[in-house]
Amino acid sequence: MTATRPSRPLPAGRPGGPRLRRVLVRVSFGLLVALAVLPALPGVGDSALFTLTLMLTSVAVAVNWNLTGGFTGYVDFGHAVWFGTGAYTTAILMSLQTNGPQVGWAAPPAIALGAVVAGALAAAIGRATMRLKGPYFSIAMLGTFVAVREIVRVSGGLTGGGVGLTLPPYLNRPLFYYIQLALVAGLVAFTWWLRGTRFGAALVAIREDEVGAEMRGINTTRLKVIVFSFAGFSTGLFGGLWAYQNTFVDPDIAFVEIRTVDAVMGTMLGGLGTVAGPVVGAVVLFWMREVLWANLLDYHLIAQGVLLIVIVLFLPRGLVGIVDPRGASITAMWRRWLGRGAHPETQEEES
Amino acid sequence: MTALLDARGVVKRFGGLTAVDGVNISVGAGELVGLIGPNGSGKTTLFDCLSRVSAIDSGSISFDGVDITRRRPHQVARLGLARTFQLIRVYRELTVSENMELSIQWRRIGTTRLFGRTDAATRRRVESLLEFLMLSRLRHERAGALSGGQRRLLEIGMALMSEPRLLLLDEATSGVNPTLVSEIADRLQEVNSNGVAILLVEHNVGFVAELCHRVVVLDRGAKLAEGTPSQVMADPAVIEAYFGAEGE
Repeated sequence: MTATRPSRPLPAGRPGGPRLRRVLVRVSFGLLVALAVLPALPGVGDSALFTLTLMLTSVAVAVNWNLTGGFTGYVDFGHAVWFGTGAYTTAILMSLQTNGPQVGWAAPPAIALGAVVAGALAAAIGRATMRLKGPYFSIAMLGTFVAVREIVRVSGGLTGGGVGLTLPPYLNRPLFYYIQLALVAGLVAFTWWLRGTRFGAALVAIREDEVGAEMRGINTTRLKVIVFSFAGFSTGLFGGLWAYQNTFVDPDIAFVEIRTVDAVMGTMLGGLGTVAGPVVGAVVLFWMREVLWANLLDYHLIAQGVLLIVIVLFLPRGLVGIVDPRGASITAMWRRWLGRGAHPETQEEES
Repeated sequence: MTALLDARGVVKRFGGLTAVDGVNISVGAGELVGLIGPNGSGKTTLFDCLSRVSAIDSGSISFDGVDITRRRPHQVARLGLARTFQLIRVYRELTVSENMELSIQWRRIGTTRLFGRTDAATRRRVESLLEFLMLSRLRHERAGALSGGQRRLLEIGMALMSEPRLLLLDEATSGVNPTLVSEIADRLQEVNSNGVAILLVEHNVGFVAELCHRVVVLDRGAKLAEGTPSQVMADPAVIEAYFGAEGE
């Protein structure tokens, strides 16, 4: 008996060989240290820190989206609803008033409760929508996103309606930056750990073949709802932090479609269903927009669309797939470009 | 012999088509039963009903005395019923070992262990089953890189990982190299001799005749015959269903 397609032996567990994993861990640690000392460098002011904090928010949303969209294979087109829910819950709690003096909550409990509300809402909605498959789930989540935004818009008494809510200002940019850096580092470490557990492997099993996973004794509904709720909780947490830093929320900035689109694109650019992919992809996408697309104001949406087509055609495993032995090598990429090799996603069954 | 699996009057319809029409079938503990029939006779649909992948329109199914007619597939699997599929279902992106580790008896995994890693006992079981199925040297290969026959063996190994009491095998030799077919037969006999009951859907009638204690024949969704392999092969109704009426 021989394998019909030779491939390098790989250790069980996460993708990539031990040497590659060691390199990635060292590079990640180095980057973390560099990001930690950044605010101390001359010339790095509040504006730069605010931009970096927004970048960390994009990374967090992409990492959370990847838990359901990448690991579990449920493409959520309404993920920004959890961000908006966390942001609005925080804003409502912090701006409570009784005929006179402000009696709003302090930021930490308000942000924490915002995350809990987003997670609970995700659990309730996930129990219904995660029974749907493929595009039906995606469209149901898009519908959820639009519906929640409109509910927020018409509930003026509580949410301020279309006018929005103003939060008490606290503009300590370095503090926000360090909090988000620590949370994002913790979130990435958590997803890395989760992927190596039975739970993480079961999520991949659901993505690859849900009926087969059920038949192997995995309670797929329970696991899907757990991971969906966690993603909602975590994105809600970052939504609350964003609301506090922004000091203002309204339906059109808290519930904005582009946040979901960026999460999807960032994850695909970096590598769908990988731990590092959404981090790399979200960072690259963020800086492309900040640096390159700022100079192509009229064409940036066209550039975004072209980028998505290029990723799907030539980098189906994303940027991290280039260095992953299971992914596309640069040589294989060039072969495909020259039409001399099969696309990995379209290879026929070999049996 | 006490029936481990007992299905009574199972009916499954797809719109106007009755794919399974009032079938009674039982498998005793430790028995090895073959399920044969021409193409489109409803064998795989019946398997889907028995394993609860498909809901039935009427009838009842019990496993080890427990009514599983309304249970979900993962609940049935946790009771000790494992199956393979006509189209091989292995996780192509995962390695052979990871595929096996994933197919543990999930009933024993509580919430705490859900977030744990593979323990030494599971690793030992994986090693022993891979050895048994001649897949040891491929343990670190991606399942997607295996040949069709190797993937069949892996799928059988995954079913065995859950320590089943009944194994439903759908076309276990389909697309497999003929030299490997006899190896699969040997392995299945050994599994059965260890007390695991097997219900086997097969197109390869010779394979079924050699292996099974009892054979059930389906035709157009209904049970046509049942008996020992020699009784069934000599049954004129079975011959007609497979080869057409004499003189046609």
